[in-house]
Amino acid sequence: MNEVFSFGSYYPGDSILHRLDPRTKLLGGLAFLIVSLLARTFAALGVIAGFVVLLYLLARVPAGRAARSLAPLLAIVVIVSVLNLVTNREGAVVFQLGFLRIFEGGVRAFAFLGLRMLLMMCAMSLVTMTTMTLDLTHAVERLLAPLARVGLPAHELGMMLGIALRFMPQFATELQITYRAQVSRGARVASGPLGAVRMLSSVSIPLFTSIFRHAETLSAAMEARCYHGEQGRTRLHPLAFHRRDALAAAVLVALAVAVVTCG
Amino acid sequence: MIACENVCYSYDGRTRALDGVSLTVADGEFLCILGGNGSGKSTLAKHLNALLIPDEGRVVVDGLDTADPEYVYDIRSRVGYVFQNPDDQIVATLVEDDVAFGPENLGVDTEHLEGRVAHALEGVGLTSFERRETHALSGGQKQRVAIAGVLAMQPQVLVFDEATSMLDPRGRSGLLRVCRELRDRGMTIVMITHFMEEAAAADRVVVLNEGRIALEGTPQEVLTRADDLERLNLEVPPACRLALALCRRGLELTPAVDENEVVHAVEQALGHAGPARASERSDAADGECASPHGAAADTEAGTTAESCLSFEHVSYSYERSVRERARRRRSPKREKRAAWGANADAVWALHNVDLAVRRGEFLGLAGHTGSGKSTLIQHMNGLVHPTMGRVRAFGRDLADRRGADGLTCKVGLVFQYPEHQLFAPTVFEDVAFGPRNLGCTADEVDERVRRALGQVGLAFDRIAEKSPFALSGGQQRRVAFAGVLAMEPEVLVLDEPAAGLDPAARREFLDLVAELHRSGLTVVMASHSMDDLAALCDRIVVMNEGEVLMQGTASEVFARGDELHRVGLGQPAAQRMAVRLAADGVPVRLNRLYDLDALADELAAIAGSPFAGDGKGGAR
Repeated sequence: MNEVFSFGSYYPGDSILHRLDPRTKLLGGLAFLIVSLLARTFAALGVIAGFVVLLYLLARVPAGRAARSLAPLLAIVVIVSVLNLVTNREGAVVFQLGFLRIFEGGVRAFAFLGLRMLLMMCAMSLVTMTTMTLDLTHAVERLLAPLARVGLPAHELGMMLGIALRFMPQFATELQITYRAQVSRGARVASGPLGAVRMLSSVSIPLFTSIFRHAETLSAAMEARCYHGEQGRTRLHPLAFHRRDALAAAVLVALAVAVVTCG
Repeated sequence: MIACENVCYSYDGRTRALDGVSLTVADGEFLCILGGNGSGKSTLAKHLNALLIPDEGRVVVDGLDTADPEYVYDIRSRVGYVFQNPDDQIVATLVEDDVAFGPENLGVDTEHLEGRVAHALEGVGLTSFERRETHALSGGQKQRVAIAGVLAMQPQVLVFDEATSMLDPRGRSGLLRVCRELRDRGMTIVMITHFMEEAAAADRVVVLNEGRIALEGTPQEVLTRADDLERLNLEVPPACRLALALCRRGLELTPAVDENEVVHAVEQALGHAGPARASERSDAADGECASPHGAAADTEAGTTAESCLSFEHVSYSYERSVRERARRRRSPKREKRAAWGANADAVWALHNVDLAVRRGEFLGLAGHTGSGKSTLIQHMNGLVHPTMGRVRAFGRDLADRRGADGLTCKVGLVFQYPEHQLFAPTVFEDVAFGPRNLGCTADEVDERVRRALGQVGLAFDRIAEKSPFALSGGQQRRVAFAGVLAMEPEVLVLDEPAAGLDPAARREFLDLVAELHRSGLTVVMASHSMDDLAALCDRIVVMNEGEVLMQGTASEVFARGDELHRVGLGQPAAQRMAVRLAADGVPVRLNRLYDLDALADELAAIAGSPFAGDGKGGAR
C-alpha cells in the first residue's frame, strides 16, 4: 500500500527545512501557492522554479525520491495541461490533424499551466516530506486554536487525528490477517455478487468489532494515564518559532516581490 | 499503601463481578492476583486506580478514597496500570511521544519531560528508542514502552493486568525481568496473571473465584494445594507437581514452588542413594531403553511415509524486488537494538526451508515470534507463495493456479485468536461460511455445521441461533474452530490455539486438538509452550530466524537443550529438571524424554522406594 500512496511521505533528515516549525511550513506552503498563482510570465515561473530547486537542495532530498513521490499525481498535471492545449484558441494555428487544431495560445497555456502545477506540487510534497505527520497534526491543532473560542474543538481534533494515524498501520495488519483467514475458508471476491457481498462483510465486520474493542480499552488506558483534555497539559516538544522561521518568512516575501515585478 | 474494604461491584446491576473483597497491599510488596477467566481479577485491578469505583465498600490508596473525584488524578499518578494488549494502550506514533503522554497530562514542565522519558526508557531496557515508531516494535517491546509510559509518571505502585498473556516467552521473560528490577528498586507491584510460574516469584498470592477471595498466602502455601487450584480452573506449577508426585510415591519431601528448591529437595531426599548405585543403573540402562541413535534411525524410516505437504527449498522475503533485498543486506545493521529482544530487520522471513508433513502425524512448530513460524504456516494452504522454491500439497504445486484450486480447502488454517474473525449474526451462519463458499447445497451445509459444532464440543440446538458475539471467549474460539472444520480439511494447521486462555480452558482446548488428531486429521500446531509440544506432538520442527534449526521426534529435539537455549527456547519443565538433577550427580538416565510422571517414577526407582510406579497418572 505504501508503494502506491507515496505522495509526500516523510523523508527523514536534519536539514534546515526539517527543523523549521511545522506551522511556518504549512503557512509558507499556503503563501507559496498564492505567489505562484500570481505569476503571469515565464520569467516569473523561472524565478519560482529556481526557488523550488534551491529548497530541494536545502532539504537534501534525492532527485529519484522526489520524482517517485510526485509520480502518482503527474497524471493530473498531464490531463489538465493537455486539455488546455486543445481548448485554447488564441493566436495562429501551429498544428492541424483532422478536426484537431492546436493554436499558439494553446501551446503557451500548455507549457505555462503544466509547469506551474508541477512547481506547486513539488513545493507541497516538500512540506510533507520534511515534516512528520504528527508534527503536522500538532501544527493544524495550534493554527486552529484561536477558533476554539468560537467552539471549534481544536485540541480534540488534533488528538483524534494523531490517534487515527497511530492506528492506521495496525488496522492494515489486522485487515490483512482477517482477509487471509476468510480466503482460507474459501471466500472469493470473484464468485459472483452474492459471494462478493459475503466476502466484504466477512472482512469488514471483524474490522469494525476490532476498532470498537481497541477504542474501549484505549480510552481506559488514556484515562489511567490521567488524560483529561487539554487543560494543564504540557508538551514534550512544544512548537516554538526560531530565527530561521523569521528568515523563511523574509525569503517568501522576497520571492513574492520578485514574482510580482517579473509580471 | 492500598486498602480494599469489602468491595462489591457489578457491571450490569444483577450479577456481581466482585462480591465483598477485602485486601491490603503493603508498601514495596509483590502481590500476585490469580484466577481463571471471569473470576473478577481484572475488575479488582481496575478498582486500584479508580478506573472503577466500588458499588459498596471502599478502596483507599495512600490515604485517598478512590470514590472522591477530587483525588482521581492523584491516585492514577500513584498507581500505574499496564493493560493486557500492548496495541490498545499506545497512544502515539513515536516512542518518546507515547512515554511522555502521562507526564504531559500531569502538567510536568517541558524541561523535565525529556529527562523523565529517557529515565523511564532506561528502566525498561529500551535506551535510545525515543525516535522509533511504535507499530514497528515487537509485542514485548511495545509492552515495555507501555510500562515506560507508566513509569514516566513516577508511580509508587504498578498494576499489571495480564500484561504478559499476549507475549511470547522471550517477551514475557523480558517483561518479568523489568518487573523484578523495579521491585528491587522498591516499587510495589500488583500482578494479575494465570501463569503459575509468574506467581511463584511473588511475595504473596491471592486467588479469586467468582468475585471472592478463595485462597490467600505465600506462593509456598497457596500454589502447593493441587486440588483447590484445580477446582479454581488453575494448575500447580510443574516443579511443584513433580514434588507432589514424589510425595505420593513415598519420598519425604516438602513441596515447593521454586524449581531450584525442588531440585535441591529431591537431591537431598535421594542423598543416600549414592554414586555407587549410579554406575550399576547406567549399565542396566543401555539394554532397556532406545538409545538416541536408535530413535534417529526410526525417523529415517519415517520419511518414506506418505507426505501430504512438502516444502522444497522454500525462501520468502517481504521485499519482492531483488535489488531492494540486496540494498537491505548491504545497508549497515541498525545500531539501535534493544538491550534484549528480537531483531525485526532480517531480509528473509523464510530461508531455504525443507520440510515434510506426513499424513496422520501431529507436527509441532516451535520458535519465538519473528522466527518465521507464521509465514511458514501461511505457505501451507497457498495464502502466500514462496519467493523461491516450491510448496507441494498432495503432490501438486500450490503456486500453480490451475492445480491448486481444490487444494486450499484440504488444508484448514486456524489463525491466532481466531475468534477475532467472527462476523455473522448467528453461529450457524458463521460456521456455514466455508461450506457455502465451497458451493455446498443447503442440506449439506446444515449437516456440515452440525458435525463441526459437534467436533468442537458445542451443542448445535443450544448454540446455533445465538450471536457469536454473545458467547464467552472460550466458546467463541470453539465456534471459529468449527468454521474451519466445516471445510472438512485433511490437514489442520493451528497457530497458537491456546493463546490467552486460562489453564483449565487451555487444557480442554489441547485435549480437543488431540481428539481431532486421533480421529484421523493430520495436525500442524505452532506453539510457544514446550510442555504442550512435548506432550502432544509426534515430531517437532524448530524454527530460528527463518531457517529450520532442527527437526525430529520430541525426544530428539529436546535432548539438544543447549542448542535450544542458544536460540532463546527452553525444554519442557520435566526434562529441564531431569537434566539439572543429572548434572548434579543424581543418576537420572537422559536417553529419553520425561514427562512429570515418568520423571517421578524414575526418581522413585532411584530412591529404591517400594511405591515406584504406583501413582500412575496421579501427577496431574
